[in-house]
Amino acid sequence: MESTSAKAPSFLSTAREQQRSMVEEYYAGLAQAGGAKRPVAYMLVGGNLTEIVRSFGYEVVFPEIVALNCAIKHVSLPNILHAESQGYGLDVCGYVKNDLGLQDLGGETPFGRIPPPDLLVCSFSGCYVYVKWWEALAEKYGCPLFMLDVPYMRDPEPQAEDRTYLIAQLKEFITLLERTTGRSFDLGELRRVLARSRRAEEGWVEYLDSGRGRPSPIEAYFEAVFYMFPINVLRGTEVAAEFYATVNAEVKERVRTGQYPVPEEKVRLVVEGVPPYPSYRTFWDFFRKWGAVSVAATYPKVGGLFDRGFLHDPGRPLESIADYSLGAYVNQSWPLRRKLIADYVKDFQADAVLIHGIKSCRSFTAGQGDLRDWLIHDLHVPTLYLESDHEDPRYFAPAQIKNRMDAFFESLGPRREPLVPPPGAP
Amino acid sequence: MTLVAGVDIGSTTAKCILLEDGAIVGKSLAPVGVELVKDAERALEKALGEAGRERREVQAVTGTGYGRFKVTFGQYTLTEIGCHAKGAHYLFPGTRVVLDIGGQDTKAIKVSDRGEVVDFAMNDKCAAGTGRFLDVCAGALGFDVSEIGSLSLGARHPVKVTNTCTVFAESEVSAYVARGKDPKDIVAGLYASVVSRSLSLMQRVGVEPELTFTGGVSRNEGVVRTLRQRLNLSVNVSPLSQYVGAIGAALHGLERAGSPPP
Repeated sequence: MESTSAKAPSFLSTAREQQRSMVEEYYAGLAQAGGAKRPVAYMLVGGNLTEIVRSFGYEVVFPEIVALNCAIKHVSLPNILHAESQGYGLDVCGYVKNDLGLQDLGGETPFGRIPPPDLLVCSFSGCYVYVKWWEALAEKYGCPLFMLDVPYMRDPEPQAEDRTYLIAQLKEFITLLERTTGRSFDLGELRRVLARSRRAEEGWVEYLDSGRGRPSPIEAYFEAVFYMFPINVLRGTEVAAEFYATVNAEVKERVRTGQYPVPEEKVRLVVEGVPPYPSYRTFWDFFRKWGAVSVAATYPKVGGLFDRGFLHDPGRPLESIADYSLGAYVNQSWPLRRKLIADYVKDFQADAVLIHGIKSCRSFTAGQGDLRDWLIHDLHVPTLYLESDHEDPRYFAPAQIKNRMDAFFESLGPRREPLVPPPGAP
Repeated sequence: MTLVAGVDIGSTTAKCILLEDGAIVGKSLAPVGVELVKDAERALEKALGEAGRERREVQAVTGTGYGRFKVTFGQYTLTEIGCHAKGAHYLFPGTRVVLDIGGQDTKAIKVSDRGEVVDFAMNDKCAAGTGRFLDVCAGALGFDVSEIGSLSLGARHPVKVTNTCTVFAESEVSAYVARGKDPKDIVAGLYASVVSRSLSLMQRVGVEPELTFTGGVSRNEGVVRTLRQRLNLSVNVSPLSQYVGAIGAALHGLERAGSPPP
């Protein structure tokens, strides 16, 4: 198996244009947000309470997504260095340092000004650094901070006592929102927002499921990252609900015309971990040169494991929001994460797994070395572990990463056998 | 008759092997500079000169090592990981694990019974435990690295040396010298540090016999002895251990020689 030259990746044309416009409009809209008329809530992606705050008229900002947008546009390092000059250490999460540096520098980015928060919602408390991040923002801005305590998922389905615990907190949260906005909770509006979320989620799942095709008509890691913006940032809006119809129509057109993400699919991968955003295109090229395509990935599911059966339910508003927060990918125990990845390998007929670990994140990355060993030794799935960073360009060593990837793909050539026979095989 | 060449451009040296019908007929080894294309050319010409053969007789050239893309006159490239697996299997067919310690890299490679890579692990971000590590620390002791191979033989109380950072290790060695520690004990500590670092990589892929030790550091008898003691295992070391990558590259070309280049 030899490497081949890689042309620039081709995206879904209309969907990519729409997505780009949505991003631009979102950030342009943020410039006008803030204050009593259009208050701003900061939230974390994992287990977020978007639907509730939207029903109160809040604009939502996800500093993690602002940070990744900074990194992919190569402007994260000045923010990180500024945070380090304030005393944040080399090993503090890149998302955190990008945000705190950016906030202190005034919030200006090449894609718009990020308004300060009127409300802070720490929707994922499983990472201690994140908790401290939100506390630092609360101290800086003096705005209300709501800390949602989400128990780790220990079993495949949410436990009744965990759900009850979450719902009690959601009611406290609603009381806080009523007090801070002066508005009464509108259950009907929440149901309408949830219904729009659900439509977006169903469309997103259809897109992700198309990775089962051989060859895969989607790139479920590098390309999916672009199309996950609406499901993460705009969930609950009409524009997000409609977006995935465009995406899925174009995926069907890809299949009809035989236009696949790589011209000749040679390796089907499951990918785990956050991408190295500062070197996103370089990293993607390392895959494409080998005819490798991601058919399933865990990272695009950090905003919700909708493809594993969960969908927001307007008929059970608070219950389903509680289940959503509990079931966030980052909130899954390692046995559940391992099973999910093994299921993806089987269900999507993958040849191998690639894990990208994050140097500045121990919360999400710790355990990935054991995952690698488990996949190789127990499941006999070829697996490569690489490490750089999601935000900090100083940690991306292209020669070393390329060498490891080349060696890995070389080694797949002689030993690769389909883990599951192709459909129709005798 | 099939004559093929493998050219291994590493961080420190350029190696070339000529194989004719599977037998080594020529070789060369020289330091690399900054003009890697010329270094690669010279390595091939020198090996051809040793074998008394002409360039036009060579049916395939494969480049390997970090500079493999600078073997611009070759037809194939293969990473040094794949080449060390093939080369070690060629020299010792029972090889199941390869430990390669070169100038800047340490690699543990698990190998199938056909010389194919099954799994591998490499040092990350730092040259601690590699040839460069020994170079730097030997310098701090006032020796050239080629002089310290057997120096640890008479060690009585080996010191502890960090294996996480070359620069810190150099500082430690300087501190031990300043405290009047016996150089034998310091060198023994260095070897223990190199081997300890290698063991953690080998454990990632699983240690099992036969283990073949390759790369420039395998020429250091003190490191080899320390490795054997720590593993309580026999360790294959060939007089050609620095050429294993180039041998593997040549074998790759031999496998491909029958088919047109891509």
